[in-house]
Amino acid sequence: MINAYRAAMLNRRDFLGRAGSGLSGIALSQLLTSQGLLANTPRPPAIDPLRPNAAREPQFQGAAKRVIVIFCSGALSQLETFDYKPELIRRSGQPLPGAAAGFKSFQGENGNLAAPQFAFQPRGECGKMTSDLLPRIGALVDDFCFIHSMTSKTNTHGPGENFLSTGFTLDGFPSMGAWATYALGSESENLPSFVAIPDPRGVPQSSVNNWGPGFLPAVFQGTPFNQQRPIGNLQAPAGVTPATDRAARRYLQFLNERHQEAFAGDTELAARIASYELAARMQLSVPELTDLSSEPTSLRKLYGADSSDPVKSGFARNCMLSRKLIENGVRFVQLFNGAYAMGEGVGNWDGHRKLKQQYEIHGAILDQPVAALIQDLKSRGLFEDTLLALVTEFGRMPTFQKGASGRDHNPEGFTIFLTGAGVKAPFSYGATDEFGHRAVEDVVTMHDFHATLLHLLGLDHEALTFYHNGIERRLTDVHGKVLTGLLAT
Amino acid sequence: MPVLRASDGIRSIRVSGSPFLGLGLRLLVASIVALGLLSPGEAAPDPDHWSFQDLHTYTLPDNGEPNPIDAFVLKRLKSKGLTISKPAPPAVLLRRLSLDLTGLPPNPRDQARFQTGWAADPKQASADLIDRLLASPRYGERWAQHWLDAVRYADTHGFEVNTPRPNAWPYRDYVIRAFNEDLPYDRFIFEQLAGDTTGVDAATGFLVTAAALLPGQVGKDEESIRRARQDELNEILVNTATTFLGLTVHCARCHNHKFDSITQRDYYQLQAIFGGVHYGERPMRDEEKDRNSKLVALQGQIEQAENALLALGLRPPVNARHNIERFPATTIRYLRFTILDTNGAEPCIDELEAWSVPHNGGSPSNVALASEGTAASSSGDYHDPINHKLSHINDGNYGNSRSWIAKQLRNGWVELDFGKPILIDKVTWGRDHEEHYKDRLAIKYRIEGAKEPGQWTTITSSKDRLSSLDPAGLDAPRALAITHYQKLLRDRDRFSQKSLIFGGIFGQPPIAHLLHLGDPSQEREEVRPDTPAIFGSLGLSDKSSGPARRVALARWISSPQNPLTARVLVNRIWHAHFGVGLVDTPSDFGAMGGRPSHPKLLDWLADHFMENDWSIKKLHRLIVSSRIYQQASHPRQAPQAQDADNRLLWRFRPRRLEAEAIRDSILQITGSLDLSMGGPGFSFFKANTNYVRVYTPKENFGPAEWRRMIYAHRVRMEQDGVFGAFDRPDAGLICARRQQSTTPLQALNLFNSRFIQTQSTLFARRLEKDGGERLEKRIDLAYRLCFCRPAEPEEQGTARDFITEHGLAQFCRVLLNSNEFLFLP
Repeated sequence: MINAYRAAMLNRRDFLGRAGSGLSGIALSQLLTSQGLLANTPRPPAIDPLRPNAAREPQFQGAAKRVIVIFCSGALSQLETFDYKPELIRRSGQPLPGAAAGFKSFQGENGNLAAPQFAFQPRGECGKMTSDLLPRIGALVDDFCFIHSMTSKTNTHGPGENFLSTGFTLDGFPSMGAWATYALGSESENLPSFVAIPDPRGVPQSSVNNWGPGFLPAVFQGTPFNQQRPIGNLQAPAGVTPATDRAARRYLQFLNERHQEAFAGDTELAARIASYELAARMQLSVPELTDLSSEPTSLRKLYGADSSDPVKSGFARNCMLSRKLIENGVRFVQLFNGAYAMGEGVGNWDGHRKLKQQYEIHGAILDQPVAALIQDLKSRGLFEDTLLALVTEFGRMPTFQKGASGRDHNPEGFTIFLTGAGVKAPFSYGATDEFGHRAVEDVVTMHDFHATLLHLLGLDHEALTFYHNGIERRLTDVHGKVLTGLLAT
Repeated sequence: MPVLRASDGIRSIRVSGSPFLGLGLRLLVASIVALGLLSPGEAAPDPDHWSFQDLHTYTLPDNGEPNPIDAFVLKRLKSKGLTISKPAPPAVLLRRLSLDLTGLPPNPRDQARFQTGWAADPKQASADLIDRLLASPRYGERWAQHWLDAVRYADTHGFEVNTPRPNAWPYRDYVIRAFNEDLPYDRFIFEQLAGDTTGVDAATGFLVTAAALLPGQVGKDEESIRRARQDELNEILVNTATTFLGLTVHCARCHNHKFDSITQRDYYQLQAIFGGVHYGERPMRDEEKDRNSKLVALQGQIEQAENALLALGLRPPVNARHNIERFPATTIRYLRFTILDTNGAEPCIDELEAWSVPHNGGSPSNVALASEGTAASSSGDYHDPINHKLSHINDGNYGNSRSWIAKQLRNGWVELDFGKPILIDKVTWGRDHEEHYKDRLAIKYRIEGAKEPGQWTTITSSKDRLSSLDPAGLDAPRALAITHYQKLLRDRDRFSQKSLIFGGIFGQPPIAHLLHLGDPSQEREEVRPDTPAIFGSLGLSDKSSGPARRVALARWISSPQNPLTARVLVNRIWHAHFGVGLVDTPSDFGAMGGRPSHPKLLDWLADHFMENDWSIKKLHRLIVSSRIYQQASHPRQAPQAQDADNRLLWRFRPRRLEAEAIRDSILQITGSLDLSMGGPGFSFFKANTNYVRVYTPKENFGPAEWRRMIYAHRVRMEQDGVFGAFDRPDAGLICARRQQSTTPLQALNLFNSRFIQTQSTLFARRLEKDGGERLEKRIDLAYRLCFCRPAEPEEQGTARDFITEHGLAQFCRVLLNSNEFLFLP
């Protein structure tokens, strides 16, 4: 029976039926897909209700096995980082051509064009111009595939974060990590398949919606924890000895198995027993994973985990945690840089008022740990089949806001970069106009980014669906195209 | 007309095919589509779609089943060669009915009562039990939750700031009340859409349950403002169309609906009905009249109490709301109020009143009003041309936004010229009669009068006022008078709290337009408020008022002729009882939704429901009295092979309890559940006042949080640290059916959290107290509380061994984690 529930969890019999006899169907669909004949056919994954986290085959051979998304929350300025615009420097202090005096954007009136607040210089063998704000990341530029023509459809942080993380501006849709693990499961027996790592300063604006399951089964949601705030309820209650805890588990097992006897064949009951087993394994594996004391001092230094700034060392430790998660088979890590607990600009990239001063603080936190993470992945051979993306919800205006030395929100053109599995590097895709204001060449939507990300994982964004409320839902809504121009060949 | 519609092809497989056949046929259909033989765009939506048809009248199958539900379902089972399961044992039935109807397990007293009744007459015992459960206030608390899921009710605004929406709860309480009182469903619909027209203000909370951007969060640019407004209206539409009609009209926002006969024009017509509805709070008028009369009476009592205090030589300090200045009657033309100091900032007075001594026993009148010809002048006015103007000081209106503020810091004066000499004996004034503001209050002042310009004499001043009222150290009469006065002031504060409801603010709808591609900047032709064309027309003009539009829509939806309304509701109720509806997509009765598993039964039930005055409780009674509902839940091999999803209902399918039912059950079992109903509720999160709210779950819970979970503040997108993991919807999107997931986080939370630890300890204490001295009795009581049955000998033995070694509280912890406890049997 194919109904609304089928996509959530097949029952065990269906699962076995599909896993066995469905192969020919999958082969056929691959054939048809490759010939462009099956673009709109939903092909939701077949999920074993007893092992919803088990690794599943992609729809086709993808370059990436796993993903790290580094989310710079607050709207990281393209103009202070990677989008070098000599014309903006030359015309600094002049009005933005074509704009009425005092034209309004998100926060209100804008002033004149303002040069980047940090100097640019050529880096790497390719000589790509990047700014002095992020020198260590800039030094790795030969490995990066920049997208300079990103756009968003909202200029408001909350909806913008939602759009980036879920493909929809509204709350309540599944996050990209949830979609990826729904499709592919996990390579780890002992860990959740999707982990969200909030910034040491707190959660981003849209908070849990960034890693929520939406209407997908809750098992695919991101499990949020970081070095500062570990998984809740991971330890036995205070005063319960390990021996008693083990005995309690055994006793629970006895009760459940006895109960199960009368319900042989009921998979939901069996799945619950299995979930207690994974929980017990996590109780052991997660503390071990989050314990960084066994990491060499030199490595801790490389990441900046020894920094006297607790935010920087905290973020560095979260970067180290990301690598360990990836190394241990976690499918999708969403690592946050920036939080919204303290308001605009203070704990994030939302530089409205005094952009230079704020970015000096945030740049120092981001730069070294991320650069170290990339190097660490490379040295462990994880870089080839891990996709790492550094993203932000939208960009910033080429003008300063009226009466301020900061930039307002700009969803019409901004920069992100991809590195690792499956992308051309060094490479720059798309471009903004001469002031870095609007994307004008190979304009990329968030949906395109999502389609490309899924493609790199071996998933067809049009076929990875889940029926909800009248629609076969996708991460990309009804839009999106794979950016074939930036794929490694 | 195409021979094969894409949607038809897929749909027919959904109801009949095996998964393999399904996949194959879907591929076939998709290939046909892909090869261009039939494009999905051309697959015309079906105007004759089943759910748009009038209800069919079916005669009951004549198979001797007294309950019509059984007659339909058993006939269908028989035709497939399947049989119903044997009846569930009485203990299982009791537990199932209690959890399903009230969300709480039966306590031992209920168990004993039911057992005795069952021994005498099983049929009567189960009928009595059903009546008792439906009459319990716990019923409404349980079933309101199902409704609140469908409309994504929450106590916060959502999006990035997610600040509290402190006056949403009257709607939550309204829904609970509606279920408990068995409000006829047609009435329930009407009140939620247009309750403002019949004095049921709390009901319109329905319109605005969705997340909304607060004014400051929307971009200042025109496009952002328009888009935010369109999003708001869309949410109202989503609520209305999916909840009552099972229609995904919102899919036609940017283009005609791909699968249903709903055009983009239909979308904007329906949207125009709500064009006047804005997200916001308004006073609940149902209580306002009552409150006003109480306030008037209190004001009189306060004046008397003040007079009594004056007689004792005590003059109360000034207050921001209302101050009385009494003096010997004097004839003056000019009155001057000079402020010498404030409690901070420039002084503010919202109204200055002077009361004439009446002639011939009439009542005193306020001669200071501008409408009486009195002119005001001042030492200088604060610059705010909207809220604070000199003309506000004697305009007869109270409140901060109708007040005067002086130009000078902490002092200033205002003068009234009555135009002629008048005999007065009382002046009254306030900073803010609505008492939202208490700053800028004159604490030192002088009031003077004059017959001729410039000849001022002081009439009264603040000099004789006390700086504070403290009964301590005073003699009994004075202390008593002060206490009495203070109580009256507190009462006034309490009664003057306007009850607000986040239930929408209503204005005149603007002319509505179709928006090309749903883009607010691309307005196309005008549209009139109306239903989707396929259902006819409401005949409203584009000048009709907002309420008239909503009333017309509500009448249409709740009309017995509406083919969808009753079908959708009976299916929702069925869904909540069985875990899967007759239509397995309760909020989508369109082409992409499921087909009814039992179409004849669905129509019969819908018709029967309307015939029985749209009574939901009668519908429950019919369903839960059926053999189908009361059958056992064990899997059986043969039917399992044929119908694994149990759509033919050959067993009652057990399922995990929802987050609320688990938490509430634990609290009841351990004896800590607080059953007080209604009101603002409690929070699972630590207090926090950031601009962008940060919700940190509390870890330690005390009795204040031991109420039923429906009274917990629903924080959008944030979940309680223990029970959130149990698929509690996040109130982002509508949730017609909850997911039933099983995750290791659920296990960790239920096995390790402090909540469970505390409750296990309390549970153990209860067993010690109520179970008697013997361990065997305690174990038995625990089994009865958790599983509604005695412990069997083997279970007694294992439990005894475990408790002896690890203690009673650990035993309790394990029981509360067991599948038998967590599943609806």
